Amino acid sequence: MATMTRSTITVMLAPAVTLIGVFILVPMALTVWLSFHDWSTQTGFETARYVGLRNYQDIVGPISVGRDFKRAFVNTAIYTALSVAIILPLSVMLGLLVYQTRVRGGHLLRAVLFSTYMVPMVAVALVWSKLYSPAEGPINQMLGWVGVAPGTWLSSPDTALVSIVFLNVWQQVGYFTVLIIAGLTQIPNALYEAARIDGANPVQEFFGITLPLLRRTLLFSAVIAVINAVQVFEPVALITQGGPAGSTNVLTYHIRRVGIERAQGGLGSAMAVTLMLSLIVVVVALFAFARKGERE
Amino acid sequence: MMKLTRLKLALAAAVALPASAFAEPVNISYLTHWSPETVALLEAAAASYSEANPDVTITVQAVPFGDLLTTIRSQGGGAGGPTIASIYDLWLPELARDGLVEKAPEAVSGDVGAAWPAGIAAAASVDGAVYGIPNEINVYALNYNKALFEEAGIAEPPATWDALKEAAAAITASGEGRQGFGMINSWAAGVVHPFSSLLVSNGGDLVVDGKPALDSQAAGETFALYEEMIKEGYTDPSMGTADANTTGPFLDNFVSGNTGMIIMANWWESALRAGMGDRFDTIGTAPIPVGPSGDTARSISYSWLTVVNAGAADAEREAAWDFLSWLNGAESGENGASAMSGILMSMGILPSRSSDVEAYQDDLGRDFLAGYVDVLENAKAFPVVLGGQEFSEALQQVIESLQYGQVDAQEAQANAQADAESILERAKQ
Amino acid sequence: MSGTTKPFRRNNPSGFDALLMLLIVVAAVVAAFPLVWMVLSSFKTPAESMQVPPVWLPKTPSLDSYAEVAGVINAGRSFWNSAVIATVTTAGILVTSLMAGYAFAKYRFRGRDALFALLIATMFLPPIVTLIPLYRLVSYIGLNGSLFGVIVPHLANAFGIFLMRQFIAGVPDDLIDAARVDGASELRIVFSVVAPAVVPALAALTLFAFVYHWNTYLWPLTVLQGNTDDYPIVISLSRLLSYNRGAMNTHLVMAGATLAVLPPLVMFVLLQRFFVDSIVSSGVKG
Repeated sequence: MATMTRSTITVMLAPAVTLIGVFILVPMALTVWLSFHDWSTQTGFETARYVGLRNYQDIVGPISVGRDFKRAFVNTAIYTALSVAIILPLSVMLGLLVYQTRVRGGHLLRAVLFSTYMVPMVAVALVWSKLYSPAEGPINQMLGWVGVAPGTWLSSPDTALVSIVFLNVWQQVGYFTVLIIAGLTQIPNALYEAARIDGANPVQEFFGITLPLLRRTLLFSAVIAVINAVQVFEPVALITQGGPAGSTNVLTYHIRRVGIERAQGGLGSAMAVTLMLSLIVVVVALFAFARKGERE
Repeated sequence: MMKLTRLKLALAAAVALPASAFAEPVNISYLTHWSPETVALLEAAAASYSEANPDVTITVQAVPFGDLLTTIRSQGGGAGGPTIASIYDLWLPELARDGLVEKAPEAVSGDVGAAWPAGIAAAASVDGAVYGIPNEINVYALNYNKALFEEAGIAEPPATWDALKEAAAAITASGEGRQGFGMINSWAAGVVHPFSSLLVSNGGDLVVDGKPALDSQAAGETFALYEEMIKEGYTDPSMGTADANTTGPFLDNFVSGNTGMIIMANWWESALRAGMGDRFDTIGTAPIPVGPSGDTARSISYSWLTVVNAGAADAEREAAWDFLSWLNGAESGENGASAMSGILMSMGILPSRSSDVEAYQDDLGRDFLAGYVDVLENAKAFPVVLGGQEFSEALQQVIESLQYGQVDAQEAQANAQADAESILERAKQ
Repeated sequence: MSGTTKPFRRNNPSGFDALLMLLIVVAAVVAAFPLVWMVLSSFKTPAESMQVPPVWLPKTPSLDSYAEVAGVINAGRSFWNSAVIATVTTAGILVTSLMAGYAFAKYRFRGRDALFALLIATMFLPPIVTLIPLYRLVSYIGLNGSLFGVIVPHLANAFGIFLMRQFIAGVPDDLIDAARVDGASELRIVFSVVAPAVVPALAALTLFAFVYHWNTYLWPLTVLQGNTDDYPIVISLSRLLSYNRGAMNTHLVMAGATLAVLPPLVMFVLLQRFFVDSIVSSGVKG
């Protein structure tokens, strides 16, 4: 490793650091600053008027501003938790299916799974909105064949959010499956050999070796899945507009609606800061949870 | 001698001015959310204007409805933004407050006052000053499926809320998977406008003197009507979802005869025709049923208008107003109608200029639209106030939570009034 | 046999194999179904796409939807815009990530680890958190409403820097020192010595970046604001849904979606080998 002159280091780092600084770190700081101001997004930053904590009081208050935000926050939390809870076990299962060599087809499955990850979310949303269609959609038709009553899917507040979770899982699970496969390749075969000598069955192998040694992979997957889940936007913007009855109003959609469309930049920023703080809490909790598991 | 010279000078100036204003070639742009077919009609009209005014070229820019307001907000007010924009009247107060749109010149505002009905001219004004030229008007009425009515043994469309409930009950009972009365959700105007139409038909109002009036008895009865329709099963909220295209299950269910009645605006005629084909004839139009506190059938209307970018160059703004006056004036179309009204009629949309309504009397007399033209007289404009869009979205949320049984009618009414008070108060600051 | 020893290597009854096979087939069918449905629907007539119950195979497959899509959204222009956005952004990311990744992997300087941590932290920041001020900031710089506005803010990203640092750390110092002895400048070393040594990682980053920026919706939608001439294909696609009030255009939407999916899929087929490799070596070790 070399010690370089300051100018060489500057040349190497300047492009990336300048771009990330100007387009991510500065806006980040501005978001925090704006969250204490009343500001119309359509005007310059100089028109911002300091209002202390009022924006924060409003977004947790009892009036529609607060009700909508709290609803969006809870929706996002449910959406994120459900996504992670489905994606992680499913990707482990699919990862094992791809990784095993007893029967063929693993590579084909990996290619199919991963290709769904290449599909633009806009296309995913549009296609799934038609799949879910109550009358002319194939999902309810297929349910009918096996004698199951048609689902309400996107048409009812009880099922709309879950329906969007499903299409998100469909799109993303291939990526996480590959992560899991990567984790599986890191597990030394000798451990399985030793377990076999000890007479362990596959179930014991899975819980005794595979799962514990996938802990780091699962932690990484969980963090990425959380970050991805809070970004859900296209299906809501294109299909449900946050409805029915606010059941799919999620934070990315809501913050854009408030901060850009309604031009209430201060309120939107307070919501964005709340989202960021919540994410930090979740990620720290995930790491703490994983560390605790490691010590045990 | 002096007088004569002065007169000559004045004459020369009067003749020279319009010419000199356009002496330099001017490019103006026209932002709209219309579909490509309709844009083509507008482009044709613009081309014939440019023939007579060779210095002015007009380009049409179309964006989806959902992007229209943000496009105007972000590009408007700047020199690079569209010179002319077509807007929903609810947006006008904020655009005027932020200085993004220009007050109409005196000649234009005089014409708007004289050639349009007073209510519509008012919706194109803020604090008495005209900001744009109105074009389309949309009004809500009750659409009903005559075939379903016949099957359920009902002769007439309901004129009162009691008759509405009876008809809805009979239709709901007449077949599997049917709802008597359809309510739309997941789309602000589709939720709020039908509700408001029932409210005004019950003698109520959304906003009175700039203050929300959702705490009235009339409003309470309207919330209670919604609650009852849902509770009795006359309305199935999951059959009323709309998507971002303002189509979706609510439309499909009405088209395929699963919904007996629905309150909608005239512009959806083309969607019904496309979806129903020959069966379109079974759709009737009737006034909004009158509530217990109402005296006559009323309804809600909203209009669209064209505004001019305050940040555009002088020559561009001047050319824009001149073009708009021509486009919406009595000479540009056929038979004394405006070119604009021809474009609107191609979409089944009602024009609002009084002379246009007269010119298209025959077309407007066709069955489906005639019902809408009839209710126009007693229609109230949806309140055009600062914060109107947010007000509308908040009311939508409250009504949807009532539809899905998350709150009862009383709580819905209390929430709606409290939201509206805080939103309108905040918007005024 | 030990080379292929993996979980499930036990000699269970063959019923277990059948179960595995069944699971693989079910998983593949479920994953492929929406895409197959999309392609089939794009060949249907408008009436067929609205039929109840749904039609699976179009009776007379037609390409009319594709012709109609081209007329409604100026598909050629949108494709070009998407290609420009994805290509230029990807090229920028490759250059900035190589340079910064090299500096973080091979240089020693004060505050290096803190700076690296700060940059990496931005990887976990959802774009919505910075969207509101960024929207205004970009118009200060005069980039709003243009392809530049879409591209410039994304010419560098933390993931690329992270990936490059991981891989460049594995490039032998001797190789770099030899080039220095030959008098090569540091910039020259980055692009003609280090880059060739990390081609698989560059290929993976290319795929990641290209696909991400081909598919991304929120930022172009916000910054382009109705400048339809500059719309990438995903925004034009969303416009198909709402281009006509009250119209039913399922067949159009499916045709447009099929078109939009093709380039990232082709990219994936070409580069998938590297994609998987890079996840193996970056994701887990990180």
